[in-house]
Amino acid sequence: MIKLKLEALGHPTPSDVALSNRKEFASTILWIEDQKIRLYSIEDREKLRHIDNPKSWEEGYLKYCADLQMPPLESQQEQMAWILSHAVRLEFLDDPEQFASINSKTGPPKSNGKQAPVKVQSIFDGKMNVQDKAFVDGVRQLASKLNVPHHPNHLLQLEAVARVVHERLSPAAKGRQPIVGTPFPFDKGNDIISANDPALDLPMRILRLLQIQSLRQLQTHINETIVAVQNLTANPKTDTKLGKVGR
Amino acid sequence: MVVRSYNDELKYLEKVSDHCWRIKKGFQPNMNVEGCFYVNSRLERLMLEELKNSCRPGAVGGFLPGVKQIANVAALPGIVGRSIGLPDIHSGYGFAIGNMAAFDMDDPLSVVSPGGVGFDINCGVRLLRTNLYEKDVQPVKEQLAQSLFDHIPVGVGSKGIIPMNARDLEEALEMGMDWSLREGYVWAEDKEHCEEYGRMLNADPAKVSMRAKKRGLPQLGTLGAGNHYAEIQVVDEIYDKWSASKMGIEEKGQVVVMIHSGSRGFGHQVATDALVQMEKAMKRDKIETNDRQLACARINSVEGQDYLKAMAAAANFAWVNRSSMTFLTRQAFAKMFNTTPDDLDMHVIYDVSHNIAKVENHMVDGKERKLLVHRKGSTRAFPPHHPLIPVDYQLTGQPVLVGGTMGTCSYVLTGTEQGMKETFGSTCHGAGRALSRAKSRRNIDYKEVLEKLDQIGIAIRVASPKLVMEEAPESYKDVTDVVDTCHAAGISKKCIKLRPIAVIKG
Repeated sequence: MIKLKLEALGHPTPSDVALSNRKEFASTILWIEDQKIRLYSIEDREKLRHIDNPKSWEEGYLKYCADLQMPPLESQQEQMAWILSHAVRLEFLDDPEQFASINSKTGPPKSNGKQAPVKVQSIFDGKMNVQDKAFVDGVRQLASKLNVPHHPNHLLQLEAVARVVHERLSPAAKGRQPIVGTPFPFDKGNDIISANDPALDLPMRILRLLQIQSLRQLQTHINETIVAVQNLTANPKTDTKLGKVGR
Repeated sequence: MVVRSYNDELKYLEKVSDHCWRIKKGFQPNMNVEGCFYVNSRLERLMLEELKNSCRPGAVGGFLPGVKQIANVAALPGIVGRSIGLPDIHSGYGFAIGNMAAFDMDDPLSVVSPGGVGFDINCGVRLLRTNLYEKDVQPVKEQLAQSLFDHIPVGVGSKGIIPMNARDLEEALEMGMDWSLREGYVWAEDKEHCEEYGRMLNADPAKVSMRAKKRGLPQLGTLGAGNHYAEIQVVDEIYDKWSASKMGIEEKGQVVVMIHSGSRGFGHQVATDALVQMEKAMKRDKIETNDRQLACARINSVEGQDYLKAMAAAANFAWVNRSSMTFLTRQAFAKMFNTTPDDLDMHVIYDVSHNIAKVENHMVDGKERKLLVHRKGSTRAFPPHHPLIPVDYQLTGQPVLVGGTMGTCSYVLTGTEQGMKETFGSTCHGAGRALSRAKSRRNIDYKEVLEKLDQIGIAIRVASPKLVMEEAPESYKDVTDVVDTCHAAGISKKCIKLRPIAVIKG
């Protein structure tokens, strides 16, 4: 978030500011005051310029925080986040008109799972109204028949349905050999996740299992590729005449 | 060198828990970090006795005691965390065998030291499982041992039965196990179950001397001498049922094959060549160490980089070597039981390196840092969910293969979170010597050793019977003590115990 805010303010190198480094932290604060906030007159910023003199700079910084009326915050990270938000707010208020055209409708798609419906939508693009009540009802019915849990977004739910069909009901899945061997109880591994918080423990384990499953698929695919190549290249040879037992 | 009495030396050592000792700064000059070592009461006595003996007036010659070597490593430039001694530690060239140390890659002064890797670069252990049981193998174990002995040449100066020319070698050095795969000696799943996937990507055969290549060429697919061996073992005890089942070990009595070997003369020559270069580099860069044997070079210097590239090539050599022996073992078993290796389910459970330096990311003081981790006589033991371990072991933690001594037992452990925090994900590698080779030769009779093995029902094939006393169990620490210490200290977890029924040795 700090990186995004720095970027929005036009910081020259937003991605490599190491805030844990005292010097970098100090120079970033100075940059924000110099370029954006401009709370003080140029002469009054003198103390904030003493980046190489930690004691004097700290003094100036404490006063600066007080003058900005920053609420008491503990870590420098939080302080930086607050100052950046303050700077962004000032920047916005300078000329609100400039940003009027940007709103949630035209902004870039958010990444929190909204990409899936886009995919579903594109399949039905123009052929069907995916928001139609009959369509939504159809999805809900299908989901309840296949025991797919409810999700407020019916398109996401449709995607889950598609996955179940692909994994369990498709011709390829039906022809697949059932997995043999003793199942590994997933709470018997040596991994410690969150022993004293069951609410966190279980979902974490499930997510990790899903991750392991997709890794396994990838690794199996790699192995199959290697075997395919081996069919072309392999030619193991031995020659017992070469062998020699040592002393 | 500071000369102090034994009691004065003890002031620098502090027992911090039942299984861990701290070595304070000042024990040796210029220590950048503290040292520590893991022992139980029996190993502790051995450790301190060694120190005591070296404090006697007039004690000269031989290697420094292990504790001193740990402290000298702690004085190397760029070391982070602690210089760590594992329970099987014993004195070696520069670094003690069983010492691990990590160096900060972002510190321009950090060093890489061939002594911290060892002469047998990427010496390691590989474990193959079978679906056979003890009752299937006992009646034919003599023939099986002979068949293995015929397939895998052993001993000093032995030559392999896989035809190789100079070009094959160059390719093998660059590709590691991928070469064995391409040529069809191993299975795709073998690569999956090998540390580093059986290939160091930074290997550069051009940085390896002609002499090393000449020594290495005929030796691929041979076991070598010294403590190397191939053993047919049976599962004696299962401590962690679920982890064992992930490795395909279901019941006591199941037969497995353990191969312990390294990079033969090739790795030895790479290390020797590097030491010569590094002595020059030390003079030029004014690097000072407490011990001349700790020759090293800055990681970013030409010598440092050349060594890392040549070491990677030697590591690849060792993997091809173990892969070739895997192929030969499978052949021997298939012939014996008149079936295919597939039907015998002869999969590689895992393959570990216990003499190597690798770039890894670790948390140091709450921050992620890129480190060059030296493990000499120490095995990587990563915890569950570490991205560098195979997907099959994500829930159990990395399998750690600990080879015992001839005629005793071996163990499979798994890596733990605590080990990741305390020892940069490292644990013990084997029994660890208690007597020097020369001492063993003087004190033990080889005929007795062979008779003893015969009495407990172990078939043995050796190239040089007169050297077996060096490898007699009496010459080593008790591997069970070593493993129990690692388990109790939490740096790895016991999973399976194995006992040998047939041994082939150099």
